[in-house]
Amino acid sequence: MSTVEQVPEQASASGCGAPAGGIKVKDGPGGQAVVAGLVTKDGTPVSTGYVRLLNSDGEFVAEVPLGEDGGFTFYAAPGDWTVRVLAPGGLSAEQLVSAETGKIAELELAV
Amino acid sequence: MSRSDVLVDADWVAEHLGDPGVVLVEVDEDTSAYDKGHIKGAVKIDWKKDLQDPVRRDFVDREGFAKLLSERGISNDDTVILYGGNNNWFAAYAYWYFKLYGHQNVKLLDGGRKKWELESRDMVTEVPHRETTQYHAQDQDLAIRAFRDDVVAAIGVLNLVDVRSPDEFAGRLLAPAHLPQEQAQRGGHVPTAKNVPWSKAAQEDGTFKTDDDLRALYGDEAGLDFGKDTIAYCRIGERSAHTWFVLHELLGQANVKNYDGSWTEYGSLVGVPIELGDGK
Repeated sequence: MSTVEQVPEQASASGCGAPAGGIKVKDGPGGQAVVAGLVTKDGTPVSTGYVRLLNSDGEFVAEVPLGEDGGFTFYAAPGDWTVRVLAPGGLSAEQLVSAETGKIAELELAV
Repeated sequence: MSRSDVLVDADWVAEHLGDPGVVLVEVDEDTSAYDKGHIKGAVKIDWKKDLQDPVRRDFVDREGFAKLLSERGISNDDTVILYGGNNNWFAAYAYWYFKLYGHQNVKLLDGGRKKWELESRDMVTEVPHRETTQYHAQDQDLAIRAFRDDVVAAIGVLNLVDVRSPDEFAGRLLAPAHLPQEQAQRGGHVPTAKNVPWSKAAQEDGTFKTDDDLRALYGDEAGLDFGKDTIAYCRIGERSAHTWFVLHELLGQANVKNYDGSWTEYGSLVGVPIELGDGK
């Protein structure tokens, strides 16, 4: 199992309540396997929409609404994941990603 | 109990905006979401500031709940429509509170804020003014709330449903993947618990699956014995409130309790049994 050495500063204050876009990484990934990214449409960040994290079996694991800046952050376990975006107007996008402990996997998805 | 007693759809909400006796309440995981935009006329409840005791780890008490609803302008005979983000995760948690303190007429907006937003329906930033009421809360209905000793006594006897993600169940993560990993001292799950991630009850747009699909999910696939009482838990009792809603309110199971202490309490207790590894 993954153990945690460093927890981003906002974490204890926010408990289970992640802000839109997820809790941003402040000082690097620490002991976390981070998947973060940006959602755009025609090159412009999309601020209304949802990002779902699916495991390697395609099962839903977590979801965050997009931040105002079109960004999102997940704290996953090391391994392979699918990031799926849902946006108004029936728009969607998907991307595969590998997460590693101590690293931030950065993605950009266009809908 | 039928679906229409506990759920409304977005069209119903759109048609009843502003009806006297109907109060929309938004409850979000992201407590700032309401401020950026909400359904017209909706008031906000902050799941943490408003519903949790600021000092002890417990809920607001009966007087605190009554004060909160009075301040929000909610009366005992109002129809309360709850909605929120993340497939109504926190709205379902609030629903459970309303039932815990005896509110009769409360429903969820099926699909919650996500479906409303993805359908590009109107949102406003204007905060409604509602006159203060004199709300009377009942004593907690402990038929729907489980405590740690209930959970230990239920091992191998009752249905235990762990509604966290498979990685949390197995002990590989201590929190959902969109949150930093923190809190419980040990990873794993309560022995004999079945792992049915809460989100399996919802479709991608956030609405609940059909009763038949839900019965198949918890019964045939997970192996829950519908003839037995059930305790649902997660990490801090919110996701399991969503599953409590499914089992108790949608499927009409008689004795279903939500263990709000959940894994952050159980995984920090000294001496209780813990099982590691994936579900069987």
